[in-house]
Amino acid sequence: MEILRNPNFDFMKYRRIWVGISFATIVAGLVGILFLGRLNFGVDFAGGTQVTVKFAARPDVEELRALVAAAGFKDAVIQRFGGEDAHEAMIRTPVVGGSEEGSAAHLIEALNGRFNGGGGAADLNQIGSASLAELLARTDPDGVGAERGPAHYGAVAETVMGERKTRGLFTGWDEVRRVAGLSGEAAAALERGARLGAFSVLGVENVGPQVGAELRQRGVLAVVGALVGMLGYIWIRFELRFAIGATMATLHDVLITLGIFAWAGYEFNLTTVAAFLTLIGYSVNDTVVTFDRVRENLRKSRSLDTVTMLNRSINQTLSRTLLTGGTTITSSLCLYLFGGDVIRGFAFVMFVGVIVGTYSSIYIASPFALLWESWFGAAKRARGTGAGAAAPRTAR
Amino acid sequence: MNKGLLWRGLLIGALAALAAWRVWPLRENVNLGLDLQGGIHLVLRVETQDAIRAETEKDMEVLRREAEDEGVSGVVTRQLDDTRFEVAGFAPERLEALEKVARDWLGGGWEWSREAGKLVFEMRAVNEKSLRDGAINQALQTIRNRVDQFGVAEPLIARQGIDSERIVVQLPGVDDPERVKRLIKNTAFLEFRLAEFPWSGYGVGSREEILEHYGGALPPEIEILPSEERDRATGKLLSTSYYALQKRRVITGRDLRSASPSQGQLGQPVVQFMLAAEGAKIFADATGSNIGRALAIVLDGKVVSAPTINSRISDSGIIEGNFTSEEVLDLVTTLRSGALPAALTYLEDRTVGPSLGHDSIRSGMRAGLYGAILVVLFMLVVYRLAGVNSLVALALNVLLLFGALAYFGATLTLPGIAGIALTIGMAVDASVLVFERIKEELRAGKSPRSAVDAGFGNALSSILDANITTLIAALFLFQFGTGPVRGFAVTLSIGIFGTLFCGVFVSRWLFDIFYVNRPRTERISI
Repeated sequence: MEILRNPNFDFMKYRRIWVGISFATIVAGLVGILFLGRLNFGVDFAGGTQVTVKFAARPDVEELRALVAAAGFKDAVIQRFGGEDAHEAMIRTPVVGGSEEGSAAHLIEALNGRFNGGGGAADLNQIGSASLAELLARTDPDGVGAERGPAHYGAVAETVMGERKTRGLFTGWDEVRRVAGLSGEAAAALERGARLGAFSVLGVENVGPQVGAELRQRGVLAVVGALVGMLGYIWIRFELRFAIGATMATLHDVLITLGIFAWAGYEFNLTTVAAFLTLIGYSVNDTVVTFDRVRENLRKSRSLDTVTMLNRSINQTLSRTLLTGGTTITSSLCLYLFGGDVIRGFAFVMFVGVIVGTYSSIYIASPFALLWESWFGAAKRARGTGAGAAAPRTAR
Repeated sequence: MNKGLLWRGLLIGALAALAAWRVWPLRENVNLGLDLQGGIHLVLRVETQDAIRAETEKDMEVLRREAEDEGVSGVVTRQLDDTRFEVAGFAPERLEALEKVARDWLGGGWEWSREAGKLVFEMRAVNEKSLRDGAINQALQTIRNRVDQFGVAEPLIARQGIDSERIVVQLPGVDDPERVKRLIKNTAFLEFRLAEFPWSGYGVGSREEILEHYGGALPPEIEILPSEERDRATGKLLSTSYYALQKRRVITGRDLRSASPSQGQLGQPVVQFMLAAEGAKIFADATGSNIGRALAIVLDGKVVSAPTINSRISDSGIIEGNFTSEEVLDLVTTLRSGALPAALTYLEDRTVGPSLGHDSIRSGMRAGLYGAILVVLFMLVVYRLAGVNSLVALALNVLLLFGALAYFGATLTLPGIAGIALTIGMAVDASVLVFERIKEELRAGKSPRSAVDAGFGNALSSILDANITTLIAALFLFQFGTGPVRGFAVTLSIGIFGTLFCGVFVSRWLFDIFYVNRPRTERISI
C-alpha cells in the first residue's frame, strides 16, 4: 500500500508561520510553568509524603480532604486512584518543616482515628507477616507447641498476607476463612484477637527535601546532557547546522510537551523525566532520518538550492516519518489508555511528544537548519572564508 | 549464497532458542523490581558527625586523665567543635610533659598548636575520614545483622557511592515497613546504672522532688532520667516517674554475650541476657556490694525498670519492663546485632504494596499486547507480505529482549514494561525505513532483487544514526536514574540492540530465503 505517492508538498514555504505557532505554544507553556506554577511536582522532586490507600467502601475525596487538613496537613493533594470500583485514593502532603522522615505514620494514624475507631486490636488489613505470625504463635490455635510455632505460623501468616496482597484488602471474615492453609481454629482465633479495618495501605513514599532537590538537579542535568550529547553526535556525523536544527527541534518538542503536560496537570515525577529523555531520543531519531536524506541528496547534486533540497528530502522521507510516528503513537496511546494510573503520566508525555516530534521533524528542524545557515553561513561567505562545497548557496 | 543463508539461519535460530531457554518460565527467570513485586526502598544518612564528636570527647578525656597521672595537674579541657578541643590550666613549665602525654596517648590522629597558656588540638583529616568510613561500615554491618534476623530474602544493603554518608537498603517482599524502619534505626543503647535516689523502689512523681532531696542542686556525678509507663495495647502514655542515677555505667549493651526473649514470673515478656566474662566480673562486684539498692536498666536514655538487687548476680539476668512481646523481640534483635555507631536519618523511603505491583504488571502487559496487535495489523495492512517479515522480526525482538533481561539478571520495573511496550512501536522503525527505501528503488525501476539489496544498503546509515541517538538518551537515563528508571534505561538499550539485529540482519535473511528460489521474481508484495 502506498501512503503517499510521490508527495511533493512545499513544507518550507510557510516555515515562518510554523515556527511562529510553535514559538507561541512554547511561550504559553513556559508562562504556565514559570508564572502560574502549573507544573505539578510529585514527591520525587518536591519532597514530602505520598500514601496510597485502598478502602473497603468508596472514599469520599472531600471528606478525606477535611480529615487530612484537620490532622494538620494544609496543602495536601488528594485524588482518586485506580478504577472506579478500586476504592483507592492517593494522599500527598508537602514536606513538613523539621521532619525529614515524612509524615506517613501521622497520616495513617489520622485515617485510623476516623475509619477504625482509633486502633486497639491488631488490624488484619494493616498488619505485616512477621507481626501476624507472632500474634498467632502467642495463642497457638493449631496446638503445634512453642517449638514448632514460629515456623508453622510464619508459613500461615505468609499465605494470609499473600491473599491480602492479591485482593488488596479483606472486606469480610468469610474472605479470611476461605484462605487455603488457614485452619478453622486459626481463623476463629484471628476473628477473636484481630479485626478487619476499613482500609489497607498500598504504598508509602517519603522523600526528604534534600533528596528532592538533588533529584531535580540531576533530572535537569540528564536532560541537558542528553541534548548536548545529541548535538555532539550529529555534529560529528553531519554538519553543525544540522546538529543545531535537530537540537532546536528536540528542545522544541521537549518544551511544547512540557507545557501541555503542565497544563494537563499530571504529576511530574522520576518516571516523567524518563519519558522526556526517551522523547529526546525519539525526536532526534526522527529528525536525523530526514537529515540523513538531505546529506545523501547533497552528495548527489550540489547545484540545488537549500530550500528545494530540504523540501525534497522531507518529502522523500515523509511516508516513513508518518508510519513510524503512527506506530509509536499507537503504542503510546495503548499505554495511556490501558497501562494503568501509575504510568499514565509517562504515556501522556510519549503520546503528545511523538505527535509534536513528528510535526517538528517536518516543520521545525529544517527551518532551523536553514536559519542557522542563512545567519552564520552567509556571514562566513561575506568574510570570504567560504562555506565550502558541502554548504550550497542559500535561497532568498 | 545458499551456504550463507544456512549459517545466518542457524545463528538466528540458536539465538532464539537460547533466549527461549533462558526465559522459560518467565516468572522465575526475570527479576521483578521493587515497584512490581512490592517491598521497601530506604535511603539513610549516617550522622557520622555523632561518631566524630564522641571520639573527640573520648580522646579529650583520655588526655586529661593521663595528664593527671603524669603529674600535670590542674588541666582544664574544653571542646570547641566536633573536631577540636583546647587544653588549658596547666603550669607553663609542664607544657613539654603534656605534649609528651599527647604524643603517647593520642597516637597520630591529632595535631596541636601552642597558644597563650593553652594547647589547641585538631583532629587530622585522615583520622576524621577513617572515623567516618568506620562509622558507615559499622552501621552497614549492624543494619545487615538486623535485617538478617528479620529474615528477608535477597536484601540489598550498600553505601550509596564511594564517598557518601548514605546507605541504601532494599528489602523485597517485606510488608511491615514501619516495624522494619524502627528496627533498623533503633539505637537500643542499653545501660545498667545504680540508683541514688530513691535508693530502691519506684521512682518519684517529679524532678522537683529529687532536686529538693539534694537541696536544689544535683551533684555532678548524678543525673535525672525519666521512666514512662505506657498502656500495653494502645501505647498511650499513662504516667512518668523520675530516678536520680549515677552517671557512671556499671555495664552496657556491649558487655552482653547473648540475649533472648523469655517470660517473667507472671508470664509477661522479658529479655533474658548472658554477660561476657569481663562484664560478668564487674557486674558481680557491683551487685554484690549493693544488695538492697535499685539497679536501673536504661534504654536510650529512659529507665525501663529499676529492680532492687536481692543477691550477687554474676553472668545472667533478665530485663523487665512494660514490654509487649513484639517489643521484646525487637529489643533482642537490636541487642544481638550490636550498637549503631551514630544516629540514622531516613532521607527517602518508599514502600510498594505488592497489590499495586500486581495491578501495574497486568495493565502494563495488557497495554503492551494491545499495542503490539495494533502495530502488527498496521504493518500488515501497509506492507502486506513484507509486513509478515517485520512481524517475525518484531516477535523475535521481544523474545530476545526478555532473554537478555534474564541473561544479564537485569531488573524489570514498571517503567521498564512501558519501555517494552514503546519498543514495540519504535522497533518497526527499522523495517519501515528499509521497506520505504525498497519501494523507492522499485519506483526508480529496479528489479525486486536489486531493490531489496539497495533498500537495505541505503537505509543502513539512517537506521544506525536513529538508534545511536536513542542509545545516547538511554545512557543519560541510566546515569540519572535510580531503581525503576534504571530498569527502563536497560530495557530501552537492550531494545535498541534487538532492533538493529532483528530489523537489519533477520529481516534481510527473511527476504533472502524468500528470493533464493525465485531469482527472477517480477513482483514484490510490499
